[in-house]
Amino acid sequence: MFKRCQYACQSPEHTLSRRAFFGGAALGAASLFGLTQPAVARQLSASQRRVLMIYLHGGASQLESWDPKPGTDTGGPFRAIPTSVPGTHISELLPHTALRMHRLALVRGMNTAEDDHGKGDYIMHTGRRQEPNVDYPHLGAVCAKLLGSEDAALPGYIHITPGGGGNFNKKDATFLGPKYASVSVSDGKPPANLFRPTGLTEAADAQREALRHKLNEHFARSRKTAQTEAYTESYEQAARFIREGNIFAIDKEDPRTQDRYGRHDFGRHCLLARRLLEEGVTFVKVTHTNYDTHHENFDFHIEQLGEFDRPFATLLDDLADRGLLESTLVIVMSEFGRTPRINHLYGRDHWSKAWSVCLGGCGIKGEGLVGKTNANGTAVTDREVNAGHLFHTYFRALGLDSKKNHYPNDRPIPMADPKADAIKELLA
Amino acid sequence: MPALFLKRLPCAALTLFLFTAATTLGAEPEPLHGRIDRLIAATPDYTKNVAPLASDAEFLRRVYLDLSGTIPTSAEARSFLNDKSADKRVKLIDKLLASPEYARHMANVWDVILMDRRRDLRVPKNDWHEFLRNSFASNKPYDELVREILSADGTDAKTRAAGKFLLDRDMDAYQATRDVSRLFLGRNIRCAQCHDHPNVPDYFQEHFYGIYAYFSRSLLFPDDKAPTASLAEKGEGDVTFVSVFDKAKTTKSTTPRLPGGKPVDEPKLEKGKEYTVAPAKGVKPVPAFSRRAQLATMLTAGDSDAFRRTAANRFWAQMLGRGLIDPPDLDFSGNPPSHPELLDLLAQEFMDHKYDVKWFLRELVLSETYQRSSAVPPQVKEVDHERYWIANVKPLAPEALAMAVLEATGQTEVARRALSKNLNESALHGRLAPQMQEFVRVFAGRPGEPEEDFQATLEQTLFLKNGALVRGLLAPAPADLIDRINALTDVNALCDEVFLSILTRRPTDEERKDVAEALKGATNRPVALGEIAWALLASAEFRFNH
Repeated sequence: MFKRCQYACQSPEHTLSRRAFFGGAALGAASLFGLTQPAVARQLSASQRRVLMIYLHGGASQLESWDPKPGTDTGGPFRAIPTSVPGTHISELLPHTALRMHRLALVRGMNTAEDDHGKGDYIMHTGRRQEPNVDYPHLGAVCAKLLGSEDAALPGYIHITPGGGGNFNKKDATFLGPKYASVSVSDGKPPANLFRPTGLTEAADAQREALRHKLNEHFARSRKTAQTEAYTESYEQAARFIREGNIFAIDKEDPRTQDRYGRHDFGRHCLLARRLLEEGVTFVKVTHTNYDTHHENFDFHIEQLGEFDRPFATLLDDLADRGLLESTLVIVMSEFGRTPRINHLYGRDHWSKAWSVCLGGCGIKGEGLVGKTNANGTAVTDREVNAGHLFHTYFRALGLDSKKNHYPNDRPIPMADPKADAIKELLA
Repeated sequence: MPALFLKRLPCAALTLFLFTAATTLGAEPEPLHGRIDRLIAATPDYTKNVAPLASDAEFLRRVYLDLSGTIPTSAEARSFLNDKSADKRVKLIDKLLASPEYARHMANVWDVILMDRRRDLRVPKNDWHEFLRNSFASNKPYDELVREILSADGTDAKTRAAGKFLLDRDMDAYQATRDVSRLFLGRNIRCAQCHDHPNVPDYFQEHFYGIYAYFSRSLLFPDDKAPTASLAEKGEGDVTFVSVFDKAKTTKSTTPRLPGGKPVDEPKLEKGKEYTVAPAKGVKPVPAFSRRAQLATMLTAGDSDAFRRTAANRFWAQMLGRGLIDPPDLDFSGNPPSHPELLDLLAQEFMDHKYDVKWFLRELVLSETYQRSSAVPPQVKEVDHERYWIANVKPLAPEALAMAVLEATGQTEVARRALSKNLNESALHGRLAPQMQEFVRVFAGRPGEPEEDFQATLEQTLFLKNGALVRGLLAPAPADLIDRINALTDVNALCDEVFLSILTRRPTDEERKDVAEALKGATNRPVALGEIAWALLASAEFRFNH
């Protein structure tokens, strides 16, 4: 139904790829140490597109982040600070991000009309409201299917969670099939059963695998079907993943790198996200939680955004330095924003009528700014959009035709809400 | 030739009766399984391409999995393979059909078909399972089973379990319509809820609302919040619909009717006489005429061609690995059966035999078509699955995979011994259920959705490869597989036992050598044996029914 998207980004950086230059240089050096293969693999993956989603779970406040309204009745105590884009100001809680604003774009006219956590989460991950007749797949699963490669070592959709939760969430791929569903990496730890159990030596494992291979060859001689092939191939895929298992060992990274990201959970998770994206994982989602600030909104945002700001900025820098940013779409979002009205507990409540999302990277114009809210942030006054518009924008930015359909059981299901369209001003 | 014996169909029930009495005389018309084979053979190139009959070992494993949902023990395998009698396959089929494992397996399969592994809402899964299991154990006619499922309103504790189909669908008339049509009429008319089906010329919106009208007056009483709610029905309310494609927005209406069938014969009730018990606060209404009650009878009545075709096709697909109409819920002119005459014959015979499930399955598995080898003959370049010339290879359902793993590793035998005097199928199943549930959790598809195409996921593979449950099964414990084969000093005997236990066949010479080789350098014999057993369990040969 779809051709896998392999064509290159249209960004100017692509024509003069620093990545190719460094890649070439690295190849020479690496081959001295017999490491030619990984460098080549990385070079190949440059033609692929990836997504980094940072999910500020609970509903981050737009007023304390992307759309500050200092000096108004709703503005709260924080200042707005200038950014690397002249004229664009964001909250002083994001000083590091502010310096990278030229790589990012802001959508300040979000109105998703849904103040429930679960429903808002669904809307932001699928681009639709829940409907009785269709269960829409998560963006991550769609990307894993349409942008991923069949022989990738790592799963196409990895979700780094703050902790807890299951490992394999086959449901979020819905009709696309469990193969494209997210694999949760709880607090950065590898998924269940990834590593050889104790008591099974490497040699014994190799021997049993060799016997399994022989049996399969014998069976396949006269009974090969697409299904038996898929089954035997799943062991090869598992083996490739297991071989890459060290990717989770971020404590092996240069201590200075670990320091740059910060030695706290979100810092470690962002560093892991970089490693996963570098290894060609199609969709990496990092969840940063505790934004549901019904009380003490301002203290919590100092704390949470204080944790978010530096690792996020560092991750952007590292992706840019590696030439990966132009092929990696960056999305920073929540299930909704927070009320302009400050409640009696100094909190802000759920608010979906006027909030913001931050984008960047692949296919997105840096320095972009779309949509406006009124003086105290209670309504969108210009270029109102919803998750449908975002999904068209994501797909277009990734080089996919957002007007196409999925066809589960031959039933056409539009990839993105047909009533919406891409935010063209943001497309590079 | 086929046309000739089709004409004899109306008296098939009678002739079968005569036939069973008169087989030895060799006088009477051939049984259904023979006619299946002749229709399958009646295609060009059949002789050139047909696979030989399956070997005893191949047949044994297949028929065990298809009729009892697990694999045989090594002792059962030995005894069957050594049996020299000519009718041993027939005897085995009859033994399996009579076993309690048959009923459990059928309940597992039909639970997934009917309920899509959805979460329990009002009827506990165990009650429903027991209802299905008892139905298959007593060989309840299939049409009766369907009537019970669609008629039970949940008021009577004795029949409430059967009401799960509607109660756990929240008595949602749309869901009920979609699933009744898909499961019992072979027509997935989901799309026709909003408009005539865009790709299937035979599925009309009026079909959807004709079925919908049986359910539209039904509701949950006292309300949809109560876990003990039962079904009630109003005595009024008509069904109208508008196509979303219709620019003029013409409103159409329909009374209850099945696609292509006659409208329900509905009495004209005067205003004020619609109820025998009128609705009031806290009172369960009883309509003077129940529309919902008409469905079960009309659906299973002899004039519903779609019902019997779908029934025959679903059981055929269950045994043969592919429906004559494929997929089984897309019966329409553009997707004709691979063997139209055969489907007509099966549908007619199934009905004429009063939807006798065991008789029907017995005939299917007695056929040479079922008993073909799944090995593709060397001269065949491309396998055409819809010809049934070569047996289809099908993945084990999660429950069957679990039961097969537990039997192969000797876990089932350990449980049998632990139960000793109290051993029966239910007690044994109770012991194994927790482990089986782990497999189901990892291998089953999404709850509430029809089973999807086979997918091998990373989670499943890592579960089999490195998971603690499977590791534990491969550690020696008294009476389990590793313990048993570790006691065998002769490598040949050991090879036989491990292959018969796991793959239900004897090893090839080369495989014997491989096993001997693997054991030679082993420092810890039980551990090495565990790894050999793992390789067999993780092979495609084990994962599939072939």
